[in-house]
Amino acid sequence: MARIDEWFASLTRGVARRTSRRGFLAGLGAALLGGGALPLLPIARASAQAKESAPGEPARDTPVGDPEGCDYWRYCAIDGFLASCCGGTHTACPPGTQMSPITWLGTCRNPEDGKEYVISYNDCCGKDVCGNCFCRRHEGEKPLYFTHKNNDIDWCMGTSSIIYNSTVAVVVGVSTKKG
Amino acid sequence: MPPSAVSRRLQSPGLAWIATFLAWLAAAPVSAELPVEATGRVLTLPAPTSHWAFAADPLLRRSALVDLDSGKMLGMVSGGFGPVMPLLAPSRRELLVSETHYSRGSRGQRTDVLTIYDASTLGPVGEVVLPPKRAVSAVPSNHSALSDDERLAAVFNLTPATSISVVDAVERRLAGEIPTPGCSLLYPVSGRRFAMLCLDGAMLVLGFDERGAEISRVRSEPFFDPQTDPIIEKGARLGDRWLFPSFEGRLVEVDLSGGAPVFPEPWSLFEEADRADDWRVGGTQPVAIHPESGRLFLLVHQGGVDTHKEPGTEIWVYDLAERERVQRIEVASGGLTFMGFPIEPPQSWIWPFGGLARSLIGAIGSGLGADEIHVTRGDEALLVSGSSFTGGLALYDAVSGRFLRQVYTGNMTNFGILVPFGDAP
Repeated sequence: MARIDEWFASLTRGVARRTSRRGFLAGLGAALLGGGALPLLPIARASAQAKESAPGEPARDTPVGDPEGCDYWRYCAIDGFLASCCGGTHTACPPGTQMSPITWLGTCRNPEDGKEYVISYNDCCGKDVCGNCFCRRHEGEKPLYFTHKNNDIDWCMGTSSIIYNSTVAVVVGVSTKKG
Repeated sequence: MPPSAVSRRLQSPGLAWIATFLAWLAAAPVSAELPVEATGRVLTLPAPTSHWAFAADPLLRRSALVDLDSGKMLGMVSGGFGPVMPLLAPSRRELLVSETHYSRGSRGQRTDVLTIYDASTLGPVGEVVLPPKRAVSAVPSNHSALSDDERLAAVFNLTPATSISVVDAVERRLAGEIPTPGCSLLYPVSGRRFAMLCLDGAMLVLGFDERGAEISRVRSEPFFDPQTDPIIEKGARLGDRWLFPSFEGRLVEVDLSGGAPVFPEPWSLFEEADRADDWRVGGTQPVAIHPESGRLFLLVHQGGVDTHKEPGTEIWVYDLAERERVQRIEVASGGLTFMGFPIEPPQSWIWPFGGLARSLIGAIGSGLGADEIHVTRGDEALLVSGSSFTGGLALYDAVSGRFLRQVYTGNMTNFGILVPFGDAP
């Protein structure tokens, strides 16, 4: 019994080592639950209904084109809950919240045109934490002393409440360089 | 009959037996029921040990106090919005917590306050209202600090202009707010001083008198390049030294034992072979120090650039004096929890289901990796690792690296762990 347990544990640990945490959770969820309970997991937000892609955006039915999934191209430096899963969209906050005018910036590559875009990760504020679609990606993210490039900070500043709900990803320009 | 006569008579074995039997008969009906108990009892904490830990849960807005030896929760501190991370003032048996509250829950009038709790009763005994500017982050480390003499508390503000609020914790009054342009976070060192990290890679060191008036300000030259190889701001303290791993795996040290900070030559935490295998530092608190043994613990994983917050799969141990790695520890599962409850198969499950279920749960827990590590002080030190996806913690023998057990904090998520006597010099 112990040998079987040990073999199983080492096998699964080995798989875990070779994959990212989100990938690990996704694979595990699929294996265990056949995908049925995947909406519970942060990576499991493939859009249920086919939608038209916006001009210049990747196809909605691909991970890099799905604003309700962590792999959406604009979310390359996001750390928080996706507004698009919380009653808003990737550019608009959920009802009743306030969008923070002060924010942190990422630089993400749009696979559709190959250009680097400056992304403003504005927080949606004034209601408690959303809880859906928790994503953590850190491309170009910097420690907290580099404040405007840090995604640990509650960026609900300049709003009537600092209570954090979720985050949007707004294109604010084309970047001339990465970082 | 005088008492002495009764006593004499009972000295007879037969009479003593009868008396005992009658007493038993009389007492029997009473002992069948529980005695009536007093209501209103509230416990106070026993004397603290070096194996106590606070674990913050921003969802539950509290920090749970857990005894790592018994695995039991001892109490908690509720602190409003964000991760709750107490400062410890053992000489006054106080906890100081910087808190943010709204008059209507998530809206209304904002009040930032430094609340002073009795460390025995965990009840509030005082407060100092702060400027409503304190920074709130997912990771609460170094957002507030207490001077070594436990007199001054400092709270980091971000609006996004940076400043600190300084509190005289003995007189329980706000001493003032001090602008610290471009410099963030708080790293206490001796002599009532706080160091801060600046945007350009420099360090700002502020000194105060005992009433909280600024008396010295030293700003160093940049000692690292925040563009090419930033230091990870979640460092570890060793006396008057602060040690920070960098994104690229150098250990950058700041020595604050003198008037101005000194920066010894950084050294590499990774061999070439480690780098070839893509080993990197990562996590939300990737470094801890056990001062008594001079050992540094580093949370590492295999990944590419921009994985500086990926959870660790191993903990590497270094001898600080020799500057060499002496041990590798595989991250163990802290257990899985749901709504704070441990997920464990019932003991009654027969072979092989119980074992397989435990293996699967253990593998999931290990697969989550560790977001933060800490180590307790003194002999018989414990290494603690935790993931923000579970309320459980994994404990290891800090010397041998052997996994010992899991401890559950009652939290839905652990976001910031404080080992009370482990993070101090």
